[in-house]
Amino acid sequence: MTRKDQSFFLTLLVPVILVLLLFIAAPIGQSIFLSFHRIIIGLPQLKTPFVGLDNYQQLLTDPVARHSFWITIIFVATTTFFELLIGLLLALMINQHFPGRGALRACILIPWAIPTVVAAQMWRFLLNDAYGMVNYAVFGSETSHYIPWLAQPATALVAIIIADIWKTSSFAALLILAGLQVIPEEIYQAAKVDGAVVWRRFWHITWPLIRPALLVALLFRTIDAFRVFDIAFVMTQGGPADATNVLQLYGYKKMFVEGWMGYGSTISVCIFIMVLSLAIIYVRMVGRRLLEASV
Amino acid sequence: MKILKLTIIGFGMVCSLCLVAQFSRADEPATIVFLTWKPNQPEVWKGLFQKFHRENPGVRVKVQVGPHSSTEYHAIVTQRLKNRDKSVDVFFMDVIWPPEFANAGWALDLTSRFPVQEQNKFLTGPITANSYHGGIYGVPCYLGAGLFYYRKDLLKEYDFKPPLSWEEMVTQGQTIIQGENDPGLHIYSAQFKQYEGLVCDMMEFIWSNGGAVIDSKTGQIVLDASAVIKAVEFVRDRIIGKAAPRGVINYEEPESLDLFIQEKAVFHRNWPYAWAVANDPKKSKIAGRIGVGPLPVFNGQEPASTLGGWQFGINRYSEHPEEAWQFIRFMTSHDTQKILAMEASLAPTRRSVYQNPEVLKKMPHFNTFLPAFEKARPRPLSPVYPMISQELQRFFSRAIVDRSSDVSEMAKATSARIEKIVKLGTMIQK
Repeated sequence: MTRKDQSFFLTLLVPVILVLLLFIAAPIGQSIFLSFHRIIIGLPQLKTPFVGLDNYQQLLTDPVARHSFWITIIFVATTTFFELLIGLLLALMINQHFPGRGALRACILIPWAIPTVVAAQMWRFLLNDAYGMVNYAVFGSETSHYIPWLAQPATALVAIIIADIWKTSSFAALLILAGLQVIPEEIYQAAKVDGAVVWRRFWHITWPLIRPALLVALLFRTIDAFRVFDIAFVMTQGGPADATNVLQLYGYKKMFVEGWMGYGSTISVCIFIMVLSLAIIYVRMVGRRLLEASV
Repeated sequence: MKILKLTIIGFGMVCSLCLVAQFSRADEPATIVFLTWKPNQPEVWKGLFQKFHRENPGVRVKVQVGPHSSTEYHAIVTQRLKNRDKSVDVFFMDVIWPPEFANAGWALDLTSRFPVQEQNKFLTGPITANSYHGGIYGVPCYLGAGLFYYRKDLLKEYDFKPPLSWEEMVTQGQTIIQGENDPGLHIYSAQFKQYEGLVCDMMEFIWSNGGAVIDSKTGQIVLDASAVIKAVEFVRDRIIGKAAPRGVINYEEPESLDLFIQEKAVFHRNWPYAWAVANDPKKSKIAGRIGVGPLPVFNGQEPASTLGGWQFGINRYSEHPEEAWQFIRFMTSHDTQKILAMEASLAPTRRSVYQNPEVLKKMPHFNTFLPAFEKARPRPLSPVYPMISQELQRFFSRAIVDRSSDVSEMAKATSARIEKIVKLGTMIQK
């Protein structure tokens, strides 16, 4: 590569770098900047004094934030686990040869293709306490037994978890399916000749070979689940009794409902730091495994 | 040379286009943007906008529709006003916002256009709610106050008079439900979701037991007083999951009204608009069988309703304040309020409409309610009200959802948090 080439390539990179700076670095920088200030949009007389780490200190002792943090952790852990499990099963299924496979593959992707707001609204109707299909399926016409799923803290949290699992399992399935398809058919045939049964074939061939794909899916799903907002916003608005008040929703309320820009930004920055550290850990793990697998 | 020529031609074309645009703009009416939310009777509002256009050919109103929920609408309006967005001229304010909008400098001070003698033609409650530090920042469009709806036919069948106390409501309801032997029928339906409406409903229970959030004389936070705790515990122990289905914990106005108009509740708390919906045979199974009155109280106390309702405000950075004012004047005129009262059952804010025989013929209950409307109580008037409300919503929702919760301890913690917020608000006055 000549010098001229090099500078030409660098010039080509400029637009990308500018876009990244403008749309990623600038907002993040802005959020971090805001988080060090006390900004209340309803009280402009207070100006926007620099308060150092005050907001962060306040966040550490905020019982509502702590509660939201644990709610988010429960949400992330359960949704990620079940989405990967169901995603794996779906992927194994649609990797088989059977008539109508193409159509089924497309169908499985439907939940993922539906906008989250629409899906959440649909789940809200399904779980309605007076006319919801879920109640009808469980109790039939015994309307007096109908359960108000979204009005009880425990079931409301389970409800948003199930809605999220329903919605994104197929995304995990898609990623895992990609991993399955690179496994050559010959290995299975050879194993069959050697007399390996289905379970052994899965455990000794499929599992080790799709692990990298699973890890990629895990990375995507955990990070995404951490940023959950829309499902809770549409289905419960964080209620009842803050049972579904995930961190992003709490930050949103602080910032846009209460107008507490500084404190709201602090919450966003903390979520950003958590997601970033998770991503770094995963990428290191996954990166190494991916390399090992491809060698 | 060729390039230069092209540039000159291009420049000339752009210039002439600008000129044409300039000329045609002079003839075109000024356009103002009204940011609203989707109303319950959109056809009534549409008719009003058309009427305004007919009467004011010089002004065109572009209507932008925001979210129906007060909280979400607030988030959108404040974001746009905070950024000095000139693309909004007229906006709605919930009755709890004017102090915040005035203090933040988003709403235009209307004192010169809306002088005291004009203000006096309106009810006192909403005018107080729109005033802040000597100025007035909004013109009340319609008024809200918590009303008590009941099934006239059922009460008559069991020989009951509308209940005066909450206890009485529960006992009457129990008799009716036993007698009707309908498992789908509940005693009470209201709004208990964790949102602004929860504050309205809970404050009515608290006020009707002699309690309050902020003591009006001393300014102290008195949320942990026993009158408050008892009222909250009554809701938790006797209403949620007992008189009302447990589902009300996730109900806003529409869902709770549905229960009532589907013959599934004997008593119902809602705003004045519910009268029109519940009496519309196309939407309601109980049209013509409804009575309405003041909310019940706890023994020996005064009935109390929360003041609600919406006001028009003008963006302080609007480029068309005159046209915006023209529109607001039309929308809050006697004639418009008459139409809104008769066709959308929205309670007027102008006193004169309550004396109009046509309105009274169609809405006879309005007259009976005038004293109640006059006395409807505002939620705390403060530029930091949204923060106070979030704390109250959290407290109320936690207290009524969990039967084992220690209400008085939660009340103490919430008081301390509200005190901190209020202090923030008073810093600006020093």
